[in-house]
Amino acid sequence: MDQERTIERRVHEALRGLPPARAPRTLEARVLDAIEGRAAAPWWRSSFAQWPWAARAGFLGASLALVLAAILIGQAPAVGGSFAAFQAHPLMVVPGVSQAQALLATFAVLRTALARAIPTGWIYFAFLLGGLLYALLFGLGTAAYRALYLGTPAQVSYR
Amino acid sequence: MTSTETSSSSEFTIFMRAYQDMVFSTAVRLTGNEAQAEDIAQEVFLKAYQGFDQLRSSPSAGGWLKTVARNLALNHLSRYRKRWRFFSELPPSEDDAPPIDVPVPDTMLLDLTTAERGRQIEAALRGLPGHQRVPLVLFHFEELSYEEIAAKLGVSLSKVKTDIRRGREALLPLLEASGVTPDESTG
Repeated sequence: MDQERTIERRVHEALRGLPPARAPRTLEARVLDAIEGRAAAPWWRSSFAQWPWAARAGFLGASLALVLAAILIGQAPAVGGSFAAFQAHPLMVVPGVSQAQALLATFAVLRTALARAIPTGWIYFAFLLGGLLYALLFGLGTAAYRALYLGTPAQVSYR
Repeated sequence: MTSTETSSSSEFTIFMRAYQDMVFSTAVRLTGNEAQAEDIAQEVFLKAYQGFDQLRSSPSAGGWLKTVARNLALNHLSRYRKRWRFFSELPPSEDDAPPIDVPVPDTMLLDLTTAERGRQIEAALRGLPGHQRVPLVLFHFEELSYEEIAAKLGVSLSKVKTDIRRGREALLPLLEASGVTPDESTG
């Protein structure tokens, strides 16, 4: 134990006696360049918290409007061009909205028809096959990484 | 750039010059890699710039920079290690690994200047495997206790003690060859 303490003290004093490593000359320039680059970047490329308040409010408003519109489109039935229909579903007069709704309805019908036509076992099999192929591809990628890009373990295993 | 910005920028440059060696040292001793340490040091100073208004007058700025550098270096090592483990064969148990031989140069280190000896020791430290170097640096340079190191690295206390002991034993032949004694190195 005494010997261990001696070694500990000796190593401690030797290491603490080392001067700090000199930073590369490029560091200062790199930091200043990065600061300048950040200052020159447009506001919308900075984090959301640093956006101007008007832009933040506008973005939140637009997001809310988009969500509301999506809900309305999803709930509205297909309507014709009558005034009564407009009063009930004003969004339907926006160009493309009724077509989008029709497309969604078609997909829903198609999904129901496919679910009826394809046996459940096939669907499970397709999912299983997809999973197996994914795992196979992942394994191949991992094997290729190990074979081609092996690094030096000393740099990475610190525990 | 306005005159206020220019003044702030030059103030920050002075601040950076005062601390860059300390920040870089912390990072390079932990990572053992100069390029990675430079990236980490850059990140530290960019964070410092964001909070420079408070930091410039703070007496604990140096301590803050050192802590940020240490945490970023450990995060970097941790991320890199996870990636490595995921894509690589698991290494053999490091507890069973044989002790590392730090090469002692043929030339008598006693003949070297203090600066050259320092460089040799620094190189030997960087040459240690990460699992010995990191706890050794945290103990001797960052002055963390064994318990704090174990908690920070998420390993057992006994492993930390073993790794640090083996790291010291690996460095010892070099220290003996260089004639470093406690009295000499403290002076």
